[in-house]
Amino acid sequence: MVALVVSLALFFDFTNGFHDTANAMATPIATGAIKPRTAVALAAVLNLVGAFLSTEVAKTVSGGIIKEGSDGVAITPDIIFAGLMGAILWNMITWLKGLPSSSSHALFGGLIGAAIAGIGIHSINFESILQKVILPAVFAPIIAGGAAYLCTRLAYALTSRHDPETGDKLTQKRGGFRTGQIFTSSLVALAHGTNDAQKTMGIITLVLISAGAQPAGSGPQWWVITACALAIAIGTYAGGWRIIRTMGSGLTEVKPAQGFSAEASTASAILASSHLGFALSTTQVASGSVIGSGMGRRGTTVRWGTAGRIALGWLFTLPAAGIVGALTAVLVQTGVVGVIIAAAAGTAAVAYMFVHSRKSQVGHHNAVEIEEMGQAVQFRKKKSAAKAIKNGDAQR
Amino acid sequence: MKWLELFSVAGATLVAAVTVVVLYSLGVRLTAIAGDVRNAPASWTRPLAYTCFALCGAAVLFGLYLIIPYFHK
Repeated sequence: MVALVVSLALFFDFTNGFHDTANAMATPIATGAIKPRTAVALAAVLNLVGAFLSTEVAKTVSGGIIKEGSDGVAITPDIIFAGLMGAILWNMITWLKGLPSSSSHALFGGLIGAAIAGIGIHSINFESILQKVILPAVFAPIIAGGAAYLCTRLAYALTSRHDPETGDKLTQKRGGFRTGQIFTSSLVALAHGTNDAQKTMGIITLVLISAGAQPAGSGPQWWVITACALAIAIGTYAGGWRIIRTMGSGLTEVKPAQGFSAEASTASAILASSHLGFALSTTQVASGSVIGSGMGRRGTTVRWGTAGRIALGWLFTLPAAGIVGALTAVLVQTGVVGVIIAAAAGTAAVAYMFVHSRKSQVGHHNAVEIEEMGQAVQFRKKKSAAKAIKNGDAQR
Repeated sequence: MKWLELFSVAGATLVAAVTVVVLYSLGVRLTAIAGDVRNAPASWTRPLAYTCFALCGAAVLFGLYLIIPYFHK
């Protein structure tokens, strides 16, 4: 069981990686600052580095959401297994839909659902959920979006050039921002590595502790750190092109100066939050920044329909992952057969979604071709979107 | 409720992002001026532009220094 949970946790780390490539690399890819493949490779390396940089372990994986400790309840590997299942399936579904959604919230949701079904509703600390999940979800986009809005405004104000006599626009020469984007997006990738790989390390350590393989209260072992760092890096390299498409061109058209501002805000927000102890979700910060930068440049429109769909996805993240987690927990409790059924069903579901994704392939070659993408995102009714993508493929 | 943390995160985000973006934008602007062909630019613009980029880089490095625990032990 422990081995199963560890491998499942690493797979979650992998989905986390490719789900979140978009956070760092969607905007530079959209502006052409970095070539798509180079971008994901860069992000992968920086995630790897980031995972090693700060091993101040998130002991707060479940972060008091489930009452642990002497007067609370014991989290068994079974519960963690069920929680991970919920998180992975939700990550796959949102990836298929091209929705940037928070992997950490999916993990929380799965764990909460599993704990309710497996232990009972008394095991949940609702105040802690409000504080750690719901409030940050509201404030993350606002903080990042506000910063990105202001920065975009400033960037444009400082670089707009007019002829002093005639008042005509001069060539603006904002190409420098494109180079700058390489650095800011790298920073976001690094921040992501320091942040998100920690969660999986925490989970695996939790399992090892609960199985008695290492003493309580000790940090993650070196092989756990290495494995998690590798899993997230490989995931990042695999690239969640569907989400890159949504973030890079579905929300708004991104110009280099905007991208630079958005990334600077994202990186600051993630690093500030992880350092000052008010955890914000990477994905929500990044989405907020992109929207904020879209609002900051005159003549750009933010596609609020897409933004709304993303927000709706965030609303569903917790309950949806929770339900899957709960179902899995119920199955697992029936014994070994239940575990096998749950594992098989999970694998089948992931495989099905993967096969389904092949029908309309989104890869580095077509992730951002701005005009086409705009259309695909605008009529987002599922069938027509799929059709638009398919037609696009046929034309090529 | 952790309102204090919330506000400090919001503040830090804003300060950090604005610092980086303003410095970099100034750098971009000055580079543009320095590259002007029609009106010969003042000779100090290009060095100043590079100073802005350097300061921006320094700000980022200082941020990294602050958040990587390795440097504080």
